[in-house]
Amino acid sequence: MKFQQIVLDNGLTIIGESNPDALSMAGGYFVRTGARDETAEVSGVSHFLEHMLFKGSEKRSAEDVNREFDEIGADYNAFTGEEYTVYYGAVLPEQQLRLLDLLTDMMRPTLRVEDFDMEKQVILEEIAMYKDRPQFTVIDEARSAYYQDHPLGQSVLGSAESITALQRDQMHAYWRRRYAPNNLLLALSGNFDWEQVTAHARQHTRGWEPAASPRDFPTFEPRSRVHVVQKDSIHRVHMCFVSPGVSAQNDERRVADLISDMIGGGDGSRLYWEVVEPGLADSVRLSHDEEDGSGAYFGYASCGAENAQEVLDRIRRALTKVMDDGFTEDELARTKRKAASALVLHDETPRGRLFHVGFDWQYRAEHRPLDEAIDQYLAISMADVRSFLDRRPFDTSTVVALGPLTSLS
Amino acid sequence: MQGTHYTVRLPNGLTVVAEHIPAVRSAAFQFIIPAGGVTDPEGLEGIASVVEGLAYRGAGDRDARQLSDALDALGIHRGGGAELEYATYGASLLADDLLAALAIYADIIRRPHLPADQLPAEQALALQKLERLEDSPAEKLFVNLRRAYYRGPHGRTSMGTEEGLRAITPEAVRADHERRYRPDGVILAVAGRFQWGELIETIRSLFGDWEGCAPPTPDPDTSGRERYRHIQQETNQEQIGLLYPSIALGHPNYYDMRMAIRVLSGGMSARLFTEVREKRGLCYSVSAMPHAVRGSGSILAYAGTTPERCQETLDVLIAELRRLELGVTPEELARAEVGVLSDLVMQGETSRARAGGLARDQYLQGQVRTMEEIRAGVKAVTPDSIYSFLQAHPARDFTVATLGPQALEVNE
Repeated sequence: MKFQQIVLDNGLTIIGESNPDALSMAGGYFVRTGARDETAEVSGVSHFLEHMLFKGSEKRSAEDVNREFDEIGADYNAFTGEEYTVYYGAVLPEQQLRLLDLLTDMMRPTLRVEDFDMEKQVILEEIAMYKDRPQFTVIDEARSAYYQDHPLGQSVLGSAESITALQRDQMHAYWRRRYAPNNLLLALSGNFDWEQVTAHARQHTRGWEPAASPRDFPTFEPRSRVHVVQKDSIHRVHMCFVSPGVSAQNDERRVADLISDMIGGGDGSRLYWEVVEPGLADSVRLSHDEEDGSGAYFGYASCGAENAQEVLDRIRRALTKVMDDGFTEDELARTKRKAASALVLHDETPRGRLFHVGFDWQYRAEHRPLDEAIDQYLAISMADVRSFLDRRPFDTSTVVALGPLTSLS
Repeated sequence: MQGTHYTVRLPNGLTVVAEHIPAVRSAAFQFIIPAGGVTDPEGLEGIASVVEGLAYRGAGDRDARQLSDALDALGIHRGGGAELEYATYGASLLADDLLAALAIYADIIRRPHLPADQLPAEQALALQKLERLEDSPAEKLFVNLRRAYYRGPHGRTSMGTEEGLRAITPEAVRADHERRYRPDGVILAVAGRFQWGELIETIRSLFGDWEGCAPPTPDPDTSGRERYRHIQQETNQEQIGLLYPSIALGHPNYYDMRMAIRVLSGGMSARLFTEVREKRGLCYSVSAMPHAVRGSGSILAYAGTTPERCQETLDVLIAELRRLELGVTPEELARAEVGVLSDLVMQGETSRARAGGLARDQYLQGQVRTMEEIRAGVKAVTPDSIYSFLQAHPARDFTVATLGPQALEVNE
């Protein structure tokens, strides 16, 4: 494994972790922009823009983009979150320059009005689709309740109203600020040719203008509250609980991850034994979301309305007990082992590895080889866990319950 | 660079299929036990999933918690569950722990405690999963589509029915495990890094003295297909699903079918995505894929769209399915081919994907396909061979199901 990095004159950073034994390569643009960088007026523009990048450039029509991805046999997609928009593809090594040519060209879209109007319908369909999935909407509701006015509470999809009102020129102005080369990262993994790829990127991004792409980091104070969204057309209660975590730049983020795994990482976790094993809730989980400058724990449970209070009480008691008494050595050892195998499985392919390589750089400007990342998990001690829990993160929690119930305390 | 394949049928009928992938550090395995919804006893629909859930609540000399902790201590990522035709038990993990993991799974599958006092909790979970279906419109649509398409047990869901789940007793659980968890008919697929000699020896010692034969799985019956079924529900999007008869894995024209469906729905330049989403903006999701149960192959198509546009969406969907029989262009076929071949190489980089693929091949056609065989099959397809296939097997006789605020017209 060899890691290389370069910053072009226009500010574009290129990084690559090469593995000449891999059978494929993956490449992607990581754009430092997402829902948190939007104003209320253009809510949902980052995600809509992600769709529009597939609609082509001066050189390519929408059909060309789709056709070329398929011609090179790419496994490709894009996604938009609160903080990043990522476009990626994995191909056999002989197609690497065609993949790169396509991805790079997509970063300079034309945003044709007729494409914009057509794609708006698709976005509205996507919004309607998620409205029918309470297990997703409850998380959006909880995010917004927890973050209050902080930009991390903003919705990725936007609303039907904000999308309907959005104009092509507003999107273009947003694009110009946010897709400046200094706000992009091109990341590569697997079996690729660094010299060829960087030469290609240099040539095809020539003339791209840097721009100021600032991001706000307002402070906010999480508050404890319980919020019920009564909806009788839903059959189950979908519950989301949020508590403060640590940021992607914080060295304790792996401790925070292991704690969430021990509490709610699936079958065998604390919350599983509390509510799923006895048959009170059909699923429960807790994960830690590390974000730019802040972080949070997101928990989810689904249960019948008659059990909602009991499920919430048991979850709270389990969280308090963890903060009071901690975990056992065995629990920690098992969970570290699981985290290590998860990393190996995830990063087995260049496509999986790309996301760790890309986000390590975007959040921390660091390259962390897989073995080092594993060792960092394995090195976490009970004392590390204890000092994290001593700050009592779960004493503060925002709970949102969606479903056929009237109250919850 | 392709892995080495192994197939061994133990004297008791358990079939082991394996693919050695030297470049990975992981291993994955999957058991297929022919104990799914289709062989649930009449009146006890759902018992396959209850037995599967209970199997993890203590086995061998470990109670529920010790068992769970033992799996976690090996860093195992668990997979599986009861499905329509069978139950699966699967794991992916670091390669060094493979043999130790198999020993624990031998307990789970052969020696579960199936504790009577845990049955009410497992039943409660199963009933909740049924209720959860009401909050998952797409999933509920597929349950109803299958019910409209198959007569008899294949129209069931492995989730069972409320009545069936409530009727399950501890005795029924034990009897069911006794009857259906038998080696003759079981498949164990392993992929990743391993040493074949010690792997097969371990499997023999863990499973060689297991005896008996599981009851046969009924043949799928598609003779009484409904044409249209609508479920009225006040959702934001109308869910549209469609099934029609096609051919199964092992049929001489199998790869013609695969390539034709890939032209229809494999990537963003495929026909459905282009016509339904890109040109008309009717949907966020639209797709078609082969749908197989053992002994029968069909094509499944899906779209989700808001009620104002749902009739048009169904009409365009059917028109595109029908248009396929006019043939595909060489360019379309070339894209489909490169896509399949590229996917094949990339799947070969992960043990988890390969273990699942091997198990499924073995179940559906009684043998695994090597990468080389798949490659040869794909390369033999031409626009002419697809055309002949589609003339013989046109998209006809649709079974359509919709779920949402509006019933639709099926205009074939």
